Amino acid sequence: MRNPWAQTGNYRTSYVQDTTIFANYREIVSVVLLLVALCVLPMFLERSQVLVLNFILIYAIAVLGLNITTGYAGLISVGQAAFMGVGAYTVALSAPSLPFWLTIPLGGFTAAIIGLIVGIPSLRVKHLYLALATLAFQEIFVWVVGRSPALAQGAAIPVEMRNFLGLEIGFRNHNYFWYYVILFVLVLMVIAWRNLLRGKYGRALIAVRDNDRAADAMGMDPGRTKLMAFALGAFYGGVAGGLLAYMQRAVVVEEFTLSRSVALLAMAIVGGLGTVVGSLLGPAFIEFLRLYVERLSEWMKSNAFIQSITPAGVDVASALLPLSFGLVIVLFLIFEPRGLYNWWRLLRSYFRTWPFRY
Amino acid sequence: MVDFVQNLISGVAVGCIYALAGLGFVLIYKSSRVINFANGQFIAIGAFVAYALAVWGKLPVLLAALLAMLLTAGLGFLLERVFLRRLVGQPIISVIMVTIGLASVLDGLMYLTPFGSGNFTFPQFLPQGGLSLGGINVSYPQLLAIGFTAVFLVLFSWFFQRSVLGVSMRAVADDQMAAMSVGVSVQRVFALAWAVAGLTAAAAGIVVGAVSGLNQDGLIAIGLAVFPAVILGGLDSVPGAVVGGIIIGVLQSFSTAYLDGLFSQIGLVGGGSQYVMPFVVLLVMLWFKPHGLFGTEEIERV
Repeated sequence: MRNPWAQTGNYRTSYVQDTTIFANYREIVSVVLLLVALCVLPMFLERSQVLVLNFILIYAIAVLGLNITTGYAGLISVGQAAFMGVGAYTVALSAPSLPFWLTIPLGGFTAAIIGLIVGIPSLRVKHLYLALATLAFQEIFVWVVGRSPALAQGAAIPVEMRNFLGLEIGFRNHNYFWYYVILFVLVLMVIAWRNLLRGKYGRALIAVRDNDRAADAMGMDPGRTKLMAFALGAFYGGVAGGLLAYMQRAVVVEEFTLSRSVALLAMAIVGGLGTVVGSLLGPAFIEFLRLYVERLSEWMKSNAFIQSITPAGVDVASALLPLSFGLVIVLFLIFEPRGLYNWWRLLRSYFRTWPFRY
Repeated sequence: MVDFVQNLISGVAVGCIYALAGLGFVLIYKSSRVINFANGQFIAIGAFVAYALAVWGKLPVLLAALLAMLLTAGLGFLLERVFLRRLVGQPIISVIMVTIGLASVLDGLMYLTPFGSGNFTFPQFLPQGGLSLGGINVSYPQLLAIGFTAVFLVLFSWFFQRSVLGVSMRAVADDQMAAMSVGVSVQRVFALAWAVAGLTAAAAGIVVGAVSGLNQDGLIAIGLAVFPAVILGGLDSVPGAVVGGIIIGVLQSFSTAYLDGLFSQIGLVGGGSQYVMPFVVLLVMLWFKPHGLFGTEEIERV
C-alpha cells in the first residue's frame, strides 16, 4: 500500500496481518480521538450525567466478560450479575484493609474462581446446560447473600474511599474521580480482551463454539477452553462489580439479581455479540433506554388522564422496564442479530468506500 | 414418623405442580432442543387467566380452569408462530435468548394488569378439610394436585403412544431430518409442542391456585424451580420430568422441615432453604450426572 490513508478495503494478506489489532492508521486515529473525547467529556457534564456515564462504562466491562462467555464461547450466561455481585462483596469486605487497586483485581479473581466452579459442567455437556448452571448460581448467590449476617443479609454495606494520594474525594468530585478510574480500567480490560481473543486462544474459542468435535480432533480441549472462557467472563464481571461497589459507595444485593443478568445479556445482544464496539454501544443503548423509560413512567404517573385510565394496583413504571428490555432482546435477535455493531460497521464502510457503494 | 409422612405427602403434592409444568418444558426441549425460559410466565398467565375468568367473569371454577388452559395453549402457539418460527435455522442460542426476552416481555405485560402485585386466592371450590388416615391428613387441594397430575400423565402417555400427532412428535424428537422425509410437518410439531407447554403450565398454575394463593413472583419462582426438576429427571424424558418434579417437591418440603435449622447453625439465618435447595441439586446434578436420571446421554459420532 503506498498511501495507507487512502486505503479502501481489506488488504490483509497474511496471518500476522490478520491478527493485528488495527487494520490501518485511520483506526488508530479514531481510537485515539475517541479516548481523548472520553477524557474531556466529563468537563462538559454535570454530576448526575457523569453518573450515567459511569454506569454505562461499568456495564461495558461486565458485558465484555459476557461477550467472552456468550459471544465467543457460545455459552449462555444468565448469571453475570451474580459474578458482579461476587466482585462487589469481595470489595466490600476487603476495602477497609486494602487499597482499591488491590481490592478490585481481588474481586475479579474471586469471581473467576467461582466461575471455574460453576463452569465445571462444561467439561462434560454442551452449551445448553451451562445456561442452567449459571441460573442456579444466580439464585444460590442471591439466597446466600440474603441469609448471611456477615453480608448484612443483602442490605447496604458501605464502601468508603475518601482519599486517594492526598486527593480528597468528596461529594462534589466523587463521580468525576471514579469516571477516570473506570475509564482507565475499561481501557486496560479492552486491551486485554483484544489481545487475548485475536490470538490462539480466541481462535480456539471460536472453533469450539462452531464445532466442538472438529476442534477436539484438531487438538484443542473443548472442555478446558470453555471453562477458561467461563472464568475469564466471571473475572470481567467481578472487576465491574468491584468498581460498582466503590462508585455507589455501597453494596446492595438488589443490584445483582436475575433481572440484572437479563439486562446485561440484553446489552450484549443489542450491542452485537463478540465485539468491543458492541460492548460499549449495548450498555449505552440499554442505559439510555432505561433512563427514558423511567422518565416516561414518571410522566405517566403525573399525567392525570393516564392515571385515570390505569386500573388500580398497576405500577406502570415496574411494567415498562421488563417490557422494553424483553422487546429489545426479541426484536434485535429477530431483525438484527448482529446488533448495533452491524449498523456501526455499515456506517463505517459507507464512509470508507465513499464515493463508491462497496 | 407421622411428621415425616405428612411432609412427604405435601412434598409430593407440590412436586406434582413441578411435574405438570415440567411436562410441557420437556416436550419443547425434546422436539426442538429449545430451553424455554418463559415457562414460569406461562404458569403465572394460566393461573391469572383462570382467576380472572372465575372471579371477574363469574364462571364456574372448573370451566374457568379449562378455558384458561386452552387460552394459555393458544398463547404458546401464538408465540411460536410469531417469534420462534422466524428463528428456524438460526443458532439454537438465539432461540433460547429469545425465550429469555419473551419471559421479560410477558413479565412486563403482567405488571400492566392488576395481577402484577398483591395476592389472589381462588374462590373456594373444593370442600374444606381432607382425608385423615392414622393421624396423617391429606387435604383436598393436595389430592387434586396428585389426581390432576395422574390424569395428565395418562392422557400424555396415550397421546404419545396412540395418536398420530403424538407419534409424529416423537419422530421429530428422535430425528428431525428423518421425520421430515417421511412427511411429518416439523413446523406443526413445534407449534403443537409450544401449545401443549402452555396447556400444562396453565394446569400447574391452576393447581397452585387451588393449593395456595397466587402471586406473580411466587408463580415465576415455581417456573424457575422446574429447571432443577427437569434436569434431575433428564431434559428429554417425559417420565423423568414427573419423577424429577416429585423429588424436587419432596426435597423442598423436607428442607423446610429439617434443613432450615441446620442452615441457621452454620450462620445462614432466616430459613427459606426450600427456595435454594433445588438449585443446589441442579448444580450438583450438572457436575456429576448432567443427563439426569432418565435422560439419554448423547453420543456423537463423527
